[in-house]
Amino acid sequence: MNPRVTATAWGLLVTAAQIGLPLAVRDRLPDPMATHWGPGDRPDGSQSFTAYVLTVTLFWVVPWIVALVTAVEGRTLARRQGRMAWWGALFGLSVLALGINLSSVLANLDVTDWTRAELEVVHPLLVIAAALAAAVLAGYLGRGGPDALSDERREPPSLRLRPGQRAVWVGHVFNPWLALITVADAAVLLVLAALGLLGVTDGNVVGPILPGLLIVLVVGLLTTQASVRVSGDRVVIGIGLLRVPARRIPLSKIESAWSEERYPSQVGGWGFRGLPGGATIMLRGGECLVIGYRTGGRLAVSVDDAARGASLINALIAERVES
Amino acid sequence: MLLTLDLNDARPLHEQVAGAIRRAIGDGSYLPGDRLPPARDLAQALGINPNTVLRALRDLRDEGLLEFRRGRGVSVAGPATEQVAGRALLVQRARELLEEARRYGYGRDDLITILEELP
Repeated sequence: MNPRVTATAWGLLVTAAQIGLPLAVRDRLPDPMATHWGPGDRPDGSQSFTAYVLTVTLFWVVPWIVALVTAVEGRTLARRQGRMAWWGALFGLSVLALGINLSSVLANLDVTDWTRAELEVVHPLLVIAAALAAAVLAGYLGRGGPDALSDERREPPSLRLRPGQRAVWVGHVFNPWLALITVADAAVLLVLAALGLLGVTDGNVVGPILPGLLIVLVVGLLTTQASVRVSGDRVVIGIGLLRVPARRIPLSKIESAWSEERYPSQVGGWGFRGLPGGATIMLRGGECLVIGYRTGGRLAVSVDDAARGASLINALIAERVES
Repeated sequence: MLLTLDLNDARPLHEQVAGAIRRAIGDGSYLPGDRLPPARDLAQALGINPNTVLRALRDLRDEGLLEFRRGRGVSVAGPATEQVAGRALLVQRARELLEEARRYGYGRDDLITILEELP
């Protein structure tokens, strides 16, 4: 199944349904229509018919275009994790968009005024459940074959350590964009704090966005930079400005190390990605140091000069085996 | 950045660190404009005081091999100073060659004679 052809055909079908469904029953719908429901079954927001059709169409068309562009670019679909995420997002979001459209139209059907449109609580729950099920099923069906082991694996040059010599390797990675976001976020928090102290802001406005800003700040502090140190008998991966938390991996647990090109689109975004046993610490696309455990698991870190780090890890492991 | 220190080296620690960084830049792991890992990471990996690493970095800056920039940390000096970096590396290699020669009982003059005999 060619993903680009499938995505194009399916997307056109969904777009047609998004526009066609409200048009087909236009004379039975009120104008404006109820489009948002608060707690309980009473609507608290409305849109004109045209605006409604535009909204439900864009709700689907925008992610659809993103999916098509991603498929054409091709890197995402080269890996199993990427394929599962792509198919899951495509079908999950289409079912979500269709479900929202269908339940809104059903709620508005044959009512004279939008304030009377009732939405049963079970509808949104059903829509979300159906979307999740579609995403999981599509991800499973579209997973394809397992990734080839030697896909992009680059064996590092071998390094010989001389007796009486002490070798260490330090790799560092810094993402200026994440740093910029973090600084901007901290600035907003400071301004809000100042306004709060002056009594200018209203708790109702700040309340909902404060947790979000705090999460961005913490995540930003953790993912702006990282360092990897190889020395003596261990590899230490320190995360964030303070290098805390740090992951310490004794060399005795490592089978071998190598470098690999990995991109956020392949592993599912920035930050800590994947599951234990196949995780990636992704701060920027490009060269990554991959550590293969004796147990078969792997840990990858995006870091500069990774090949030399891998060389040293392998050399230190070889030295331990010999002695 | 791969740094190697000789455990029997009697020179002051900051000179040894400077030499190791010179070698690391010389073998191509860092290109002009590339940012070095922060001094505290280097110090932690080597198990030495960050000030010792900073002193080595300052020495290399004075040689023209490194640049200190506010907010951007320490980076390898640009292509305009490649000549300078090349000379710094040659000095480092020559120093190491001389040490090795002494280990085999040859002195500075012997080494110069060997160099002159080269085609």
